[in-house]
Amino acid sequence: MRCLFQKKFPLLVLSVLLLTACATLRPEAMPVSENPAVLTLVEQARAEAAENKLHSAVASIERAQRLEPRNPWLWQELARLHLAQGDHVQAESLAARSNTWAGSDRALRAANWRLIGAARAARGDAAGAQDATARAAELERR
Amino acid sequence: MKLSTLRKYLTWKRLRLTGLVLLWLLAGFTLYLDFRVRDAFEGRRFALPARLYARPLELFPGLKLTPDALAQELARLGYKETLAGDEPGRFARQGNSYEIVTRPFVFWDGVQPVRTMRLDFRGGVLSTVHDRQTDQPVTLARLDPLYIGGIYPAHNEDRLLVRLDEVPEQLVQALIAIEDRKFYQHHGIHPRGMARAAVALVTGRGVQGGSTLTQQLVKNFFLSPERTLRRKATEILMALLVEMHYDKRDILETYLNEIYLGQDGNRAIHGVGLASQFYFGKPLRELTLPEAALLVGMVKGPGYYDPRRHPDRAHARRDLVLAEMAKLEMLTPAQLAAARSVPLDVIEKPSMGTTPYPAFLDLVRRQLRRDYREEDLRSEGLHIFTTLDPVVQTSAEQALAKRLAQIERARKDLAGLEGAVVVTNVQNGEVQALVGGRDARFEGFNRALDAHRPVGSLLKPVIYLTALMQPKRYTLVTRLDDSPLVWKERGIPDWQPENYDKTFHGQVPLREALAHSYNVASARLGLELGLQEVLDNARRLGVERELPPYAASLLGAVELAPLDVTQMYQTLASGGFRTPLRAIREVLTGSGHPVQRYALAVEQAFEAAPVYLLTAVLQDVVSTGTAAGLKEFLPSSLKLAGKTGTTDELRDSWFAGFSGDRLAVVWVGYDDNRPAGLTGATGALPVWGELMRKLDPEPLAPPLPEDIERVWIDPASGLRADRDCADAIELPFLRGSEPEQFAACARSPGKKIKNWFRRLFE
Repeated sequence: MRCLFQKKFPLLVLSVLLLTACATLRPEAMPVSENPAVLTLVEQARAEAAENKLHSAVASIERAQRLEPRNPWLWQELARLHLAQGDHVQAESLAARSNTWAGSDRALRAANWRLIGAARAARGDAAGAQDATARAAELERR
Repeated sequence: MKLSTLRKYLTWKRLRLTGLVLLWLLAGFTLYLDFRVRDAFEGRRFALPARLYARPLELFPGLKLTPDALAQELARLGYKETLAGDEPGRFARQGNSYEIVTRPFVFWDGVQPVRTMRLDFRGGVLSTVHDRQTDQPVTLARLDPLYIGGIYPAHNEDRLLVRLDEVPEQLVQALIAIEDRKFYQHHGIHPRGMARAAVALVTGRGVQGGSTLTQQLVKNFFLSPERTLRRKATEILMALLVEMHYDKRDILETYLNEIYLGQDGNRAIHGVGLASQFYFGKPLRELTLPEAALLVGMVKGPGYYDPRRHPDRAHARRDLVLAEMAKLEMLTPAQLAAARSVPLDVIEKPSMGTTPYPAFLDLVRRQLRRDYREEDLRSEGLHIFTTLDPVVQTSAEQALAKRLAQIERARKDLAGLEGAVVVTNVQNGEVQALVGGRDARFEGFNRALDAHRPVGSLLKPVIYLTALMQPKRYTLVTRLDDSPLVWKERGIPDWQPENYDKTFHGQVPLREALAHSYNVASARLGLELGLQEVLDNARRLGVERELPPYAASLLGAVELAPLDVTQMYQTLASGGFRTPLRAIREVLTGSGHPVQRYALAVEQAFEAAPVYLLTAVLQDVVSTGTAAGLKEFLPSSLKLAGKTGTTDELRDSWFAGFSGDRLAVVWVGYDDNRPAGLTGATGALPVWGELMRKLDPEPLAPPLPEDIERVWIDPASGLRADRDCADAIELPFLRGSEPEQFAACARSPGKKIKNWFRRLFE
């Protein structure tokens, strides 16, 4: 049993890293908002994240959120940033919050579930991570 | 003693030696004084308080803002109404168009330079924003935030620190004219003044003034009010030392911030900034000439020349100051005459301390105390950016004051009512307004944070939430039993709750039991679910206080402060996500470096579905239940949600309610807990309605969770219905929990087949 776990552990770590990398990748082509002010702030946040100024990036997204509080993309960006900062509990909650505003956007929901999976895996909740990834896969399938 | 013996002792050598020793002693003393001077001076000068700011107004095309609202914000910020080239802090308005030159400001995300912009409004919306110079469209800009107060050094004396360039020119001139004409020339002491003092001393008139501003500053700083020769000598020495170390501007600025100018109970008024507020109720920069002259005149003796207690003396003194200014040609004869003709316009009550928002500042202070050393806060000159929204704050203050006055006028037996209001942003938990009492400017008991009062029916939603988390047992149409209940618990007398209308209603649908706030049905439901379970959910919602584990807690025999209640309802309003309420966004050092961020923190405490169902019932409370009176203030199309709260013998009146964007909690009652005779609907509700009406709330339309379905129901039977059934309404259910049986009106043969088909494909 332990042997099995030892074999799987590096795989788990690797998959977490991959997922984290995927989760923090910036989906360039996605339209985050119709409000140019929000877009400006998101641009700013992405530039700050690229310079590893994650606290500043979070501040910029929160400022954008005050302008568009129901925008699920903004909540997702925030989740991504918190994941990159290692704040897994927050990342999961923020991705869940994003889902409440996601409506019928399956791609967005799937991305959120992947984030949740990454957060759970990083916390050591392998079963929860699997569950989340499965949900993401199902949403992406149809 | 013989002259020869004396001569023998007083040899030159001995004299020289004695002289040297004395000189050493003097040097030592001077050094000691020098140290004291610099220590106190630096301590005072550089013990900068932390400066607090309200939220900055964000400007972007599409923002819901009226031209008048912008005018109000600019007025608050002290922007002048005429343009003067590129001078910051000015604007010009032409109907629905503005040209603004903003002030530069260091925000937490960097420096925002001066921006010259043109803004155009249309239909209550800011439609375009352009850079005035390049004519390029501007996507986003911020106005500088309003300064709302400071947190002051450990000596706890109030100050409103001002920089020298913030002090009106004429005030400085008046001061020089009357107190120390040669201020800019001398080196700390004034020989002629000294001479006069010496003469006074010699002629037996005691130790007199004749002090320069520097000497006065020194006296103010350290020395106790003795009037001995030794004290005078020390004072002179120190004044000289001060002048050696600091330049005239520094000395003058410190003087203006330190000078004692009055007493307010046991609060000492130091500095012209605070004195301006205390006597005239306005910021220093708005003082007129006669007002400035009066303040300066009071320096000589704030008690003796107190304009409130000795107006004639004060008036005469003021005119004397003006006369001296004219003598030195600081004023024209015309100005002098004009100023003298103005009466003393001191305000009645000193209305404001160092901040117009003491209750909110109190919250900020407490939240900072959690995360910083008190020393850091008080000695570093930090810039603290808060979540306060002056528009919301003003609405809340005015609504409370107005409605309480109205209630008291209508019912002569009610005088001295008090209240508290908290308003937050539903989506991010930011506290936009906090009102601690009906006199919002008064820094007294902060009811919003510290008045722990029984919450009564405000706790009922927690019972219903607990129920709705068990969809197999409870849905919105489940029948509850509102018949007499006797609860027996060991150690306490039998508990027999009653409804407010003193009747029992038999079998009632769950949603009606909450909408009409039936005590008996709710108590029975809570007991069925288990008291501990309900209390645990209250904790999950964010209530931190220990709630007593007695049945009576179900009906709100628990004491919470308005802020605690707000935290609880915040979780409901945000769909089950608990967000700690926060009053601070950012903290920067005095030189603009970020210190700490209060990031948005969110935790999913409850599944979306039960909260959605509960919210639907809270909307019923407003549309058909105990809060139906809200219709007088706001249209029902907003679908607001809320809960009234009334306690035993009508001692407390509560209302907690939310729209799509804001949550507000109002409490009304007496401080001494005597019955006010007001229910939630007659006391707190009108305050809430008045406040929200002014804020143009967003409709409440929570997103539909995936596992919720809307089903047509026949309300009379609680069974499924058809659109064609009379009175049928659409209600939300967790998928699979909706009733299967159809009501009679839906059972016509044709319908039966239709329904069978429908069920096949669901």
